[in-house]
Amino acid sequence: MKIAINVLQALILIMGAPLVRGIIGRLKAWIQRRQGASIWRPYADLAKLLRKEDLVPPSASWVFRCAPIVLLGATIAVAAFVPVVQSSALLASRGDFFLLVYLLALGRFFLSLGAFDGGSAFGGMGASREALVSTLAEAPFLLGLVAVAILAAHADIAGMVTWTLQQNFFNISAVHILAFTSLAMVVLAETGRMPVDNPTTHLELTMIHEGMALEYSGPSLALIEWASAVKLHAMLALLIALFGPWGMASSVSVGAIGVALLLYCAKVALLMVLLAVIESGMAKLRMYLVPDFLGVASAVSALAVIFTMLVKR
Amino acid sequence: MPLAPVELGFVFLLAVLGFLVPLLLIASQAKRARSLAIALIIGGNLIGCFVAALCFWRESILLVNFSRFTPFPFALGIDRLSALFLLLICTVAVPVAIFAVAYFDRHYDARRCNWMWAFFSLFLLSMIVVVTASTGFAFLVGWELMTLLSAGLILMEGDSAERRHNVFIYLVMMHAGAAAVVASFFLFLPYSHSLDFGAIRAVSAGVPAGIRTLIFLLAFVGFGTKAGIIPFHLWLPRAHPIAPSPVSALMSGVMLKTAVYGFVRFAFDFLAGGPSWFGYVVLLAGAASGLLGVLYAIAEHDLKRLLAYHSVENIGIIYLGLGTSLLFLTNHAPLWASLALIAALLHTFNHALFKSLLFLGAGAISDATHTIDLEELGGLQRRMPITGTTFLIACCSIVGLPLFNGFISEWLTFRSFLAGSVLTNTKAQIVLPLMVGVLALIGGLAAACFVKVFGVAFLGRSRSAEAEHAVEAPVSMRAGMAMLAAACLLIGILPGLLLHPLTSLGQVLIPGSGVPEETLIIARVIPWIAVIILGVVVITVLPKRTQRMVPTWGCGLSQLTSRMQYTSTVFSKPIRFVFSAVYRPDRKIERLPTDQPYFPVSILYRSVRTTSYEKALYRPFVDLIVSAAHQLRRLQTGNIQVYLLYIFLTLVALLAFLRFQK
Repeated sequence: MKIAINVLQALILIMGAPLVRGIIGRLKAWIQRRQGASIWRPYADLAKLLRKEDLVPPSASWVFRCAPIVLLGATIAVAAFVPVVQSSALLASRGDFFLLVYLLALGRFFLSLGAFDGGSAFGGMGASREALVSTLAEAPFLLGLVAVAILAAHADIAGMVTWTLQQNFFNISAVHILAFTSLAMVVLAETGRMPVDNPTTHLELTMIHEGMALEYSGPSLALIEWASAVKLHAMLALLIALFGPWGMASSVSVGAIGVALLLYCAKVALLMVLLAVIESGMAKLRMYLVPDFLGVASAVSALAVIFTMLVKR
Repeated sequence: MPLAPVELGFVFLLAVLGFLVPLLLIASQAKRARSLAIALIIGGNLIGCFVAALCFWRESILLVNFSRFTPFPFALGIDRLSALFLLLICTVAVPVAIFAVAYFDRHYDARRCNWMWAFFSLFLLSMIVVVTASTGFAFLVGWELMTLLSAGLILMEGDSAERRHNVFIYLVMMHAGAAAVVASFFLFLPYSHSLDFGAIRAVSAGVPAGIRTLIFLLAFVGFGTKAGIIPFHLWLPRAHPIAPSPVSALMSGVMLKTAVYGFVRFAFDFLAGGPSWFGYVVLLAGAASGLLGVLYAIAEHDLKRLLAYHSVENIGIIYLGLGTSLLFLTNHAPLWASLALIAALLHTFNHALFKSLLFLGAGAISDATHTIDLEELGGLQRRMPITGTTFLIACCSIVGLPLFNGFISEWLTFRSFLAGSVLTNTKAQIVLPLMVGVLALIGGLAAACFVKVFGVAFLGRSRSAEAEHAVEAPVSMRAGMAMLAAACLLIGILPGLLLHPLTSLGQVLIPGSGVPEETLIIARVIPWIAVIILGVVVITVLPKRTQRMVPTWGCGLSQLTSRMQYTSTVFSKPIRFVFSAVYRPDRKIERLPTDQPYFPVSILYRSVRTTSYEKALYRPFVDLIVSAAHQLRRLQTGNIQVYLLYIFLTLVALLAFLRFQK
């Protein structure tokens, strides 16, 4: 039964991901007083792309064709780590957050290589910028998680979530506030959102993620788009699981699971509104201001780790 | 005395590498003799692998004593730590030798080839002597031979002034390091009265604290010089790139590890830890080497220099693990100390595999294209698929991506940092978890660097005619690389194979430790990740997909050229910009002719990474030595009467000394 719920959680993260994207797009359109596309549009896009043929540049090798597959595989493995409706997940009790972060790195490494294989300037440009952003994002990402792990005295995600569940929300420590701040900033950078990257742009001077995906088409592009949607959803779910897991089902019953699922939807909706407001209200940072942004995140996460010493119970 | 099969195998390995192969190669120029010699090297090392594996599980220490034939006690013994490093040497030596079969044949005439193989064999022997020595004398003989033979191998490749200068720097620094190692051995002598490892181990607890500190610092500097930790790394990016590729593979993959072996032997086996600042020194050296090494690497576009700097980085990661282990040892947490030590030793093993594979790949590239400048390569993956694929596996391993071996050791290092939070010592409690950020930054930079290396060299369009017409490496070279790549993947997916023996080694080196839980966790979870990713691959590859070849979009231009791609230099520009404080580039722009600044005919741009801190560190030292030498030259007048006076004065001084001693 527990395993069935774990599989269900992974499926929610993987299959619900395009919907999250659609809703964020719709919210942004609403804030910007535009009509906006249907929230189901990302599914239609994926279906359309999957039916098309793959266009492959003449310079491409097998790395070009494999990159989207490895990216999706690694991202799906990440989704298997993140608890949604109960405090465990498929791999949450076995694997820890170091593994999670490095699985994201695995996908990114291959996508960057695929970008190079197209043989155009834009692929290299996107890969180079992604290298900068992800290099600087990795330290605050891990340090923020380390701070929470030290408080919870567990390195596996299930243990961290279980510990947080036992705490009183109003008794939350400064460490959590600092760690949440740094992780939220890192999630914006990792998932290619404003103010680090603009997911809707195709301007060669500004794009990062889109630059890497530029030479891809058809099913390969569908895999990349899906993977980045899953990544976004999993990151949001990770934030919820670490910093606001209250309401997760503690027993395996249909009622508890249903309530937990509803609460999860409400929490994701809140984060989506926040994301839409940030994205509509902020301009994209200049490329060389991104290191400052991530520098702040690093400093905050280092503070979070140092503060664990003071609040240790 | 009847010899057991294990002893027989070990003596056979020594005899093959030390006598049979060199004699055979010097005696006969025939091709058949060479083939036999190569077969003996490979066979000997395969036997060496078995010997190491068997010795690892034996309770007693295998001992081969040659003291009867040597002026000082010379004995070789294999305990668990030695067995691990013997395994490392023999495992790497086999594929490298297989690779070298075709490589040496294609690059040298028959005579030079014979000399190469003879030196290659002796070089392997010297490293085996170092890691199996059980007396200080044997260790130092192997240590010195290792330096000289590798210098010989570098000089055999060519003889230009620049090469000789680099080898000179290599030899000088190695001997400075060796002097420190000799001194740290001799400091034990007043207490142990012999350089036998057993005797040293027995008395080390009784050595006064001041002497222990001195021994530790000398060992740290001596072995650190060989290992190439910053700031003693100066020789490494000079010596490694100019050696023939199989030799670079051995130097970077194996020779550096003998220094790690020596340091572990001293710090853990002899001294068994010390005050906590030992740990901080090692940790700091590791962090500095890791960060600066990878930052220097990313700015390079000469492939072999880049890889040499990555050796500095990886030695830094190994030292991070060793430093953490020493800290835990001081704070009475043997279980965590053993976890960190296991992480460091596993990374040592992993680095040996993937770094030698990377250097072999660089050799295959230079063999096919006659250049290792990244800016001249490109598009090699389609022309050299096996070389490219094995190189990609090595790249993923060195970056530490899951499913590849580098990840396992980095993950264990991360977990040992995290474990620092449970210590009661406040300083360690903060410093160790913060090290997670340092290692994460190192990992991120390494990932950026190897995206650059593989992307620029193997993907996209060819940037030169040589790269355009590259052909795949010959069978023996491919076989060597494939073996190492398979080993990287095997350890990456089934880490339990090595972790299980390593935990028992940890229990030997750190008394009172058990089996760290982390080693079991990672061995359980990684296969699941592999299953998930493999499942996704199968599901997405199975459906028939139609493909069509279309030219890359060129913004309306009809023809894209290779010069329109991102180059290695521009790829690393953002990172070099952010970390410009480290590089301090020295830029010069010259417009010609100089009297017409606004209408130049040609513009020269030069950007050199200054090495100001290296100058500040080494220059005063070198100046001091040179001026001292100048002063000393006054003694050498060339006048025979003065020399007779010296002899007379020495005699008088000695007699006076004897008189007063009584």
